[in-house]
Amino acid sequence: MTGRLVTILLVTAIALTGSLLVARARSVHLPGNHQGYEPVQPIAYSHRLHAGDLQVPCLYCHSNAERGRYAGVPPASVCMNCHRFVTAPLGAILAEDEAAAREKRPRRAIVSAELRKLYDALALDVALRPDPARTPQPIAWTRVHNLPDFVYFDHRPHVAAGVTCQTCHGPVETMERVRQVGDLSMGWCVNCHRDAARDGIGGRAVQPSIDCSTCHY
Amino acid sequence: MANTYWKSLEARDRHPGRVPDNEAEHVQDADREPSRRDFLRLAGFSAAAIGTSCSRAPVKHAVPLVVQPEGFVPGATASYATTCQGCAAGCGLLVTSRDGRPTKVEGLPEHPLSAGGTCALAQASLAGLYDNRRFRRPSIEGRDATWAEADAQLTGRFDAIRKAGGAVRVLTPTVHSPTLRQEIEGFLATFADGVHVEYDALSASAALDAHLVTHGLRALPRYRFDRADVVAGLDADFLGTWVAPVEYASAYARRRAVGSGHAPMWHAQVESRVTITGGKADRRIAVAPDEIPALVFDLLAAIEGRGTAGGDVAMLAERLLAARGRALVIAGSQDLDTQIRCNRINAALGAYGATLDLDRPSYQRRGDDRAVRRLLDEAAAGQVAALVVWRANPFFDLPDASALARVPLLVSLAERPDETTAAAHAICPDHHPFESWGDSGPVAGLLGTCQPLVRPLGETRGVIETLAAWRGRPAAAHDLVRERWRAGVWPRQQEGTDFERFWSGSVQRGFITLDAASAPAPASSAPSRVPSAPARESAAALPAPSVERPRPEPGALTLVLYNKTSMPGGEHAWNPLLQELPDPVSKVVWDNYAAVSPAIAARQGLATGDLVRVETEGGALTLPVLVQPGQHERTVAVALGYGGLVTERFRDLGRHWFRSRPTVGEQGRVGVNAAPLLRWREGRLEREVAGVRLVRANGRRELACTQEYHSLAVPAHLVPAGTPPRPIVQEISRDALMRPDGAAHGPSHEMADLWPEDHPATGHRWGMAIDLDACTGCGACVVACQVENNVPVVGLDEVRRNREMHWLRIDRYYTEDDDGLHMAHQPMLCQHCGHAPCETVCPTLATVHSAEGLNQQVYNRCVGTRYCANNCPFKARRFNWFAYPHGEGTETLGLNPGVTVRTRGVMEKCTMCVHRIQEGKIAAKSAGTRVGDGDIRTACQQSCPTRAITFGDLNDPSSAVARLSHDRRGYVLLEELNVQPSVTYLKIVRQGAPTSGETGAAEGSGHHG
Repeated sequence: MTGRLVTILLVTAIALTGSLLVARARSVHLPGNHQGYEPVQPIAYSHRLHAGDLQVPCLYCHSNAERGRYAGVPPASVCMNCHRFVTAPLGAILAEDEAAAREKRPRRAIVSAELRKLYDALALDVALRPDPARTPQPIAWTRVHNLPDFVYFDHRPHVAAGVTCQTCHGPVETMERVRQVGDLSMGWCVNCHRDAARDGIGGRAVQPSIDCSTCHY
Repeated sequence: MANTYWKSLEARDRHPGRVPDNEAEHVQDADREPSRRDFLRLAGFSAAAIGTSCSRAPVKHAVPLVVQPEGFVPGATASYATTCQGCAAGCGLLVTSRDGRPTKVEGLPEHPLSAGGTCALAQASLAGLYDNRRFRRPSIEGRDATWAEADAQLTGRFDAIRKAGGAVRVLTPTVHSPTLRQEIEGFLATFADGVHVEYDALSASAALDAHLVTHGLRALPRYRFDRADVVAGLDADFLGTWVAPVEYASAYARRRAVGSGHAPMWHAQVESRVTITGGKADRRIAVAPDEIPALVFDLLAAIEGRGTAGGDVAMLAERLLAARGRALVIAGSQDLDTQIRCNRINAALGAYGATLDLDRPSYQRRGDDRAVRRLLDEAAAGQVAALVVWRANPFFDLPDASALARVPLLVSLAERPDETTAAAHAICPDHHPFESWGDSGPVAGLLGTCQPLVRPLGETRGVIETLAAWRGRPAAAHDLVRERWRAGVWPRQQEGTDFERFWSGSVQRGFITLDAASAPAPASSAPSRVPSAPARESAAALPAPSVERPRPEPGALTLVLYNKTSMPGGEHAWNPLLQELPDPVSKVVWDNYAAVSPAIAARQGLATGDLVRVETEGGALTLPVLVQPGQHERTVAVALGYGGLVTERFRDLGRHWFRSRPTVGEQGRVGVNAAPLLRWREGRLEREVAGVRLVRANGRRELACTQEYHSLAVPAHLVPAGTPPRPIVQEISRDALMRPDGAAHGPSHEMADLWPEDHPATGHRWGMAIDLDACTGCGACVVACQVENNVPVVGLDEVRRNREMHWLRIDRYYTEDDDGLHMAHQPMLCQHCGHAPCETVCPTLATVHSAEGLNQQVYNRCVGTRYCANNCPFKARRFNWFAYPHGEGTETLGLNPGVTVRTRGVMEKCTMCVHRIQEGKIAAKSAGTRVGDGDIRTACQQSCPTRAITFGDLNDPSSAVARLSHDRRGYVLLEELNVQPSVTYLKIVRQGAPTSGETGAAEGSGHHG
């Protein structure tokens, strides 16, 4: 009797473990593969809003991708090109306008909590004037796409060849918080280089190299 | 018949003409068996290492700038022009900076003196910027201070001296920066008795004094090797150490180049020890050091048509006279009479105005030994109230400098601790040259700018600002230099009317040239109450030239104290890159030694590494012996600059492996200081000491030499039947080269091929051509490669075990013929073989061929079997036996972020600067163009003063490298193996006896360097 019970228990345990493993298998990666990495950022910046709804081109902010090895995170001064004027969501500003009109008072400056962090980084006061008492501090964003140290990746030739940003980074314009979509493995890179050598990019023939020293030196 | 080349006396005698073919790549010492205790220790360490090795991937941050300056691209490189301050030669530099920190020094191609070349010293100068052991702030009496405190204290002391009328001296090496001279003179003018004393560790004092006697100007002429058909060097190592080697080597190589359009230069070198200059000469005459004055005496007599000289002197005189107006005689002697005779020889040959330019003199050497001697005497007599020392270390490299310790106020402006700062009352550290504004005026009519490349890493202050503060006019160096240029340079230029444009254009270009007629000497360019010490002199104060023939002492040994090309002096001895750069002649690293001739070694039963005492009247040194072929029998040569306090930092350098030997010697320092043996004679520092004795001492010190291994040879059983093996170093006579039918190649071998032609390079095919005729062996490329590719310094013990990591080495070969000893320098690097033997033996495919003809090494695939290194016929691969250190603290900032830092257990080798190739290709692709010839330059190529290295695309028929690889001088190494190297060597050209057509050819006087 007890033997039977033990058997049942064991079978159940194995089945349960197995089903759990199968369920989690998708999120189990080889060491070094951080596919799906989606860290919380110091400012809840939304690519869905900026790149998706507002259709700001990727290269407006990540302009270094055309000129340098790194696409880079834009300096805070680039944000200020728009956020000098846009200090809060439109809804909040309209609501304040309405409230001010209703209460017959001058409208107050509305600054969203997330943008306040940007202005703090730039050491700006409430009226967005430089605050001499503070020094600007850069924002330490968390890197999502990390390549190992033995790989040298350069954005320039990819941008020049017409590879879209989404090819490697996924549909960033739909992401509230940026997530690593590709696995950034060597096979992933090399497959794309092979496909592009065969099919071209956007109808144009390209010569992507699959030499080791293209990326490893 | 071509000469036979050999690397060492042992190789020549034991294996005439060839090297042993069973030489292992990595030599293991037989007595280095690990003990049981060693085994347990290592096993325990390995277990601990495994236990702690796994950890989570760290979270990385991307921190953008708050405001990104326009034009700034993170991670991209930018180059800034500046002037090298490693020595007083004033070469132009282009410093590559990335994200606000300089990572590589290159030559400035447009510079009129250096023409894009650099020396090893310039290449290694970045190590000084990031050096952890620099002074970070001023100190007074050993206590750290702020600049305000230091200035307050010192100005108080200086004020007291002004009131008391005390004597103040500023001791520096040669200063040709107009702004710095102005500040020094301005500072000294505030005292009743202020004198600027200049001294050079490698002094040309006698040559300067001789020109004062003969031409009334205490300056060196500009030596125009680019206009000389016959050059006679008399103990002047002008390609290695003498005055401005990069400038001279560049002009020398251009003048000697085959196909340069004019008659080839013929060069004779008379010398006692062996230098790279002598090794390059067409005719090398070995004489004892004390015979040179007599030889110059006889040569002058022969040239002036009196006297009956024979032998070498007559031959030299005949050659020189045949090239009247195109001849040049250079003496390195510190004997005034000899230098005056040398000037008279040059005058008789019509050299002044032709190959010697005194209208545009050189200020690259200004040091006056007699002023230094006077300073020592004044200090000993207690007459000096204050001494300010900048970039000089008199307590180390002057004999009897102890008198200076009696000066009541000794202020040092040194960058790092040395013997002088140890004695100084106050230390006010100077910036590194790459942290400060400045200027230079190495020759008349040429002014260079120096600009900062990085914000100062410590609380140091530029010497210009320090002196300005002490004279009561504090200002920023940038403003001082600009004002000096506005007042002194701007009125003399013809470039425009806008000073701002002129100034920014000059800074951007790095130099400006001025009309020589409007170029006064820097000393007199600003009216000053205080003339500098040399200007006070007149020729009358110098002793009258002797008319008697100097007498050599036959039989007596003479000690020659010299500076190495690889480690040019004590002020650079802290630099590990230079300490580990093999001496171009002996190939010894991390030591100085007593070089003796094979004859003396045989007579006294000495072998390389035996300790000897070199006894002179002024003291004795115990040093290891180095048997140096080609050295004159009566000469013992010892390098200066070793044994300094700065080398104590190397106490812990290298691996503390079992039975390892520390990099420093028994005194805790690298080498032995030979400066106490220097001798004062007639107010000049004599580098030759006659009447020395060599006494065998007990014991040995094995020298770390990089040349007795890494021998190249075709194994006997692989040599194709019926043909002799091709020599590694090949030469061709100029006559054979000039003959239209001259066969550059010998009979071709029957080539066996083990590999199919399965990897055609259809796009680019990168290759290199190395001109052995141009290479002087200076070593700039070795250090350039090391800095560019993050190659570590391993220390003496590892080099002794043949584990130095240099990707590019320079093999030195000797040969002897009727014209004396010759040297061949063969830069040896991965040959990127088309059929690479290393690739076939790698079990993990870590070394494979690229579609562009490169032999790639993939570090993260390599598991360290070392099969590839064993199979490499060129011995060009290097293995990381340990995780060699790459510095700590700020030192890691100097690493090139564009190249992987390799770890333990990984094979590495020359990549042909594949990161530069990638950068060039990407830049061309982004610009929508193709990579042009010369767009991509390897680090070694860029640094070479003689343009011996050419890199490019072999598949581009118009490229320079494709042309050179089919040159009649071209050959590949170990052709019998048919590994199809991508590197072509160009044969050395030997000049035979002159033919009338050659020396008689007219020379265009309009040729400029």
